[in-house]
Amino acid sequence: MLSSFELLEPTTVQEAAGLLERYGDEARVYAGGAELILLMRYGLVDATYLVNVKTISGLGGLVAGEDALRVGSIVTHRALELDAAVRKGWPLLAAAESHVGNIRVRSQGTLGGNLCFADPHADPPTALLVYEASVTIEGSGGSSWLPLSEFLRGTYETALQPAELLVEIEVPRLPSGWTAAFARTERFYRPTANAAVAIDLRAGAIAGARLAVGCVGPTAMRLPQLESELAGLTPAEAGRRVMDARAYLSRQLDPVDDLLGSAEYKSYIAGVLLARAIGQAAGTEGANGHG
Amino acid sequence: MAEPRAIVTLDCTVNGERWHGEVPVEEVLLDFLRARLGLTGAKRSCESEVCGACTVLVDGQPMSSCSFLAFEVHGKQVTTIEGLTCEGRLDPLQEAFMRNVASQCGYCTPGQILAAKALLAANPSPTYEEVGEWLSGNLCRCGCYPSIAESILEVARAQSAS
Repeated sequence: MLSSFELLEPTTVQEAAGLLERYGDEARVYAGGAELILLMRYGLVDATYLVNVKTISGLGGLVAGEDALRVGSIVTHRALELDAAVRKGWPLLAAAESHVGNIRVRSQGTLGGNLCFADPHADPPTALLVYEASVTIEGSGGSSWLPLSEFLRGTYETALQPAELLVEIEVPRLPSGWTAAFARTERFYRPTANAAVAIDLRAGAIAGARLAVGCVGPTAMRLPQLESELAGLTPAEAGRRVMDARAYLSRQLDPVDDLLGSAEYKSYIAGVLLARAIGQAAGTEGANGHG
Repeated sequence: MAEPRAIVTLDCTVNGERWHGEVPVEEVLLDFLRARLGLTGAKRSCESEVCGACTVLVDGQPMSSCSFLAFEVHGKQVTTIEGLTCEGRLDPLQEAFMRNVASQCGYCTPGQILAAKALLAANPSPTYEEVGEWLSGNLCRCGCYPSIAESILEVARAQSAS
């Protein structure tokens, strides 16, 4: 049994922000409950009030524009996984979404909820970092815009201030001609580690690369130094370079021991997954992003 | 500004019958079905959206009723294993599960069959791999997976032939 709480159903973002301000620490944002209900059941989160943001109109948009995909914060994982425009234009995101939990979790959970929860063992943020996604935050003081890399602060920690809501995720397209792949390994539904890669391959050599690794440290992160080292290499050479970068990965990713693996194993497997994804993005290994 | 509510009005359809009444906002769909409606086909097990024993269909989509708040089904159709029987006749999936002995203890079976029902609605001719992927969130600790998959594929073949 869940302990009792009361439900608040605002119809606008401003009203929701006002409710969060009024009830302070006693209120929690509810966007589907795939994670929140579990935490409440296990007594890890106390909530006297749930603010249901699904009653706010305008947060459920999913628009594939010329330059970017705009995802309202209450769009479910399942909607993103199945959307034809997302699968075509943002295949890394569709791949990452298809791995979240199981089919029931994906129908209940939302991308906005997932990002705000900031569980380090998540798939969507890794893919979103490669697209250089950003988020729009709104509170009673107005709205602000933040790169996702700055929104994700640490384990279960985001840049969201009290009485602020994540309203939209903007996901730019990759530059034309780039190819991408997502690789992961998991135990018990939860990703042990994942990697998202996009490369610009010209005449067999890498002209540009974006690399991201998730689940290894407190947040998913990009690897800018390693990205620049791949310039001019063939995909095979790049694969070896990331495998050899274990010391850098270990320093950069700040891996932690947990039930899914030791810190040492995680920095090793991060290199393996990056190499595998580079191969897949170059079309030299496998056909899809499944790890 | 919205006022807090501890109890809400719920109007939904369960196995084709309309239900109208009030529920506490913290009541999960599993308790609503089992305790309030006496529909005990959906089972309580992991209570963390992992095992699939509590799977029911909400507007045709499989959901973990243990962790889904009952007020969410307002205006929606809920289908439990009890709702699959039509005029006293079992659903073809139920028949196939029996024929292939696709259960041992049977605890996960209602969830397996409802997940399979949703799969065949979305994809009438799934491959073995698609069955595995779709049902990966429905655990069977007796290990009946091969006969569960065979039962689903058998029904898919029969339905596409007819």
